[in-house]
Amino acid sequence: MYELFIALRHLTSRRRQSIFSIIAVGLAVMLLMWSQAMMVGFTDEMYSKTVDTMMPHVTVEPQEGEDYIHLYRNLIENINEIDGVTSISPVLMGAATFEYKGKNKNVVMQGIRVEDHDSVMFINNNIVEGNFRDLEVSPNSVVVGDALAEKLDVEIGDTIDASFPEANPTNLKVVGIYNSKTPMDETLAFTSLSTVQDFLDVSNVVTTILVRGDDRERAQEISEEIDTLGYPAAGWKETNPEIIQTLKIEGTSNAITLGLIIIIASFGIVSTLFMSVMEKTKEIGMLMAMGVSRRSIMRIFVMESSILGLLGGLFGVMLGAAFAIYMGSYDYGFEVMAGISSIPFVVRIQDAVIIVLFTFLINLIAGIYPASRASKLKPVEAIGRD
Amino acid sequence: MSEKYIIQIKNLTKIFGDGVEIKALDDVGLNIEQGEFMAIMGPSGSGKSTLLNQIGILDTPTSGTILLDGVDVTKMSDKQRSVTRNKQLGFIFQYHHLLPDFNALENVMMPLLINGVKRSEARKTASKMLEEVGLGDRMKHRPNQLSGGQNQRVAIARALVNKPSIVIGDEPTGNLDSKASDNIYELLRRLNREHNQTFILVTHDKHMAAKTDRTIQLVDGKICEDSRNGNGD
Ligand SMILES: Nc1ncnc2c1ncn2[C@@H]1O[C@H](COP(=O)(O)OP(=O)(O)OP(=O)(O)O)[C@@H](O)[C@H]1O
Ligand SMILES: [Mg+2]
Repeated sequence: MYELFIALRHLTSRRRQSIFSIIAVGLAVMLLMWSQAMMVGFTDEMYSKTVDTMMPHVTVEPQEGEDYIHLYRNLIENINEIDGVTSISPVLMGAATFEYKGKNKNVVMQGIRVEDHDSVMFINNNIVEGNFRDLEVSPNSVVVGDALAEKLDVEIGDTIDASFPEANPTNLKVVGIYNSKTPMDETLAFTSLSTVQDFLDVSNVVTTILVRGDDRERAQEISEEIDTLGYPAAGWKETNPEIIQTLKIEGTSNAITLGLIIIIASFGIVSTLFMSVMEKTKEIGMLMAMGVSRRSIMRIFVMESSILGLLGGLFGVMLGAAFAIYMGSYDYGFEVMAGISSIPFVVRIQDAVIIVLFTFLINLIAGIYPASRASKLKPVEAIGRD
Repeated sequence: MSEKYIIQIKNLTKIFGDGVEIKALDDVGLNIEQGEFMAIMGPSGSGKSTLLNQIGILDTPTSGTILLDGVDVTKMSDKQRSVTRNKQLGFIFQYHHLLPDFNALENVMMPLLINGVKRSEARKTASKMLEEVGLGDRMKHRPNQLSGGQNQRVAIARALVNKPSIVIGDEPTGNLDSKASDNIYELLRRLNREHNQTFILVTHDKHMAAKTDRTIQLVDGKICEDSRNGNGD
């Protein structure tokens, strides 16, 4: 590989230009790596604040044309067999009108098994007064959101009238108040499964089954397995497409901007390479006289720009990762995002590899033009007339 | 009969056409034997360099043929030309044209490396060659650390290291003083006798030319004189 020998020597001979080229590309790459780490970190943080706590990974619906999932206990057992599933919560939902001392409000009642539902939706974390567990201890009890409690002006111990067309009217005693900081606090009320079953006059059915797995990225897999059990299931990405959409658009425009910066930095390499080709015209002629083919001349100069690109890429990625890791471990002492006081950088090996490869390729391509100019020199003219 | 010639040139014409057409070579015919040590002379602009460049396949003729070892170089692909230049031809120019970023040893190694010889072996062969031209103690010096004559000797070592059958030199001693150029001629002559390589040298120096086996005079792109000097065997 004498081509590499020559290319490396050219680079070390004009050390200063080489180092500046590497720094220029390296700084651009550093920015890209750094912002990618921030992007991934924020995305991760956002997912763990939403997907990991506020929504089920997979939602199972009744079969087509049905209002309910019958024989749900069987289905739960089957879902439990699926790899990666950690918790399952059957839920029976029904619309109701709540009335207390002349004030009323239309709500959705969710009949749940408290422990199962907590393991999927972590409802216990949101309780502000009373207790979810009382739903199963005392029949005809309810836990309401704080906004709903305010609207109806109820407190723990008060009894609400629940009714709805074609439903069995009933009284529900308030045993708890929760606050999830979402609009659901005004419309969602929890009761036991049997309370809603009595209210709707049904038995042994639920309207949906909520599933959580050990890894949110496996939701799609799990939902497909449930599909094969004969029940339509949807992963969180399907049920909340807007989350993915927002992140995707931001991530893409960010990557395009920074990719452009790398391309601009690579122009610096092209121009030094051009100058070097001009300077080395006689040498190139002499190399040709010694038997170096046009292809090899081309290879030498493309190698020069690719090597600079590779080194710039590696240098930049390491610098960017180091910055990200340093800034990620820094405690700012105030909230930079809801509930966290440090910037959640996540440095991923695959991002680093892709960025280095991208930089390498860009510079390889950038080197082609000056290299082909060098390879097209005519030996006599390059050597010149003494 | 034709087999004994290592170089056969027939009806070689080179026209440079940049607005005004200049016939640098005009229907030149020339046969050169293996092991000949010859000089090309002639006034400035007579076409000496142009002829050498054609023989060295550094340029393509307007018409005519050049056979090197029986192979028509005008019909070669770029790859074949490179290989021929590397293995069969050695070039020495008026200015050494060494690679400035490489030391003497590396410069001499280069034709071997291009030929695919292993680095360690190339180093051995190249240092032997440098010793032969009297530069065994200057191997690690770069061209800018050597004198003109020393550089020229490095260039000679480089031209000869691949044992080419043809060595062409365009005023190889053109910018050296007479003592240095005498030394170089002695060196070339010795190498020619030892390895039976063919040397074609352009020179303006009549004394030098007189020491060769054969002298060709070019005028206006034509050979006007071709004489044996009676120095050879
Ligand atoms: N690339 C070129 N373009 C146009 N004309 C050229 C070119 N190279 C050579 N010539 C012309 O061809 C003729 C022969 O030139 P050449 O260089 O072969 O002369 P020479 O005998 O080597 O002269 P010198 O002794 O001065 O080196 C000259 O008239 C020169 O001007
Ligand atoms: Mg000349």
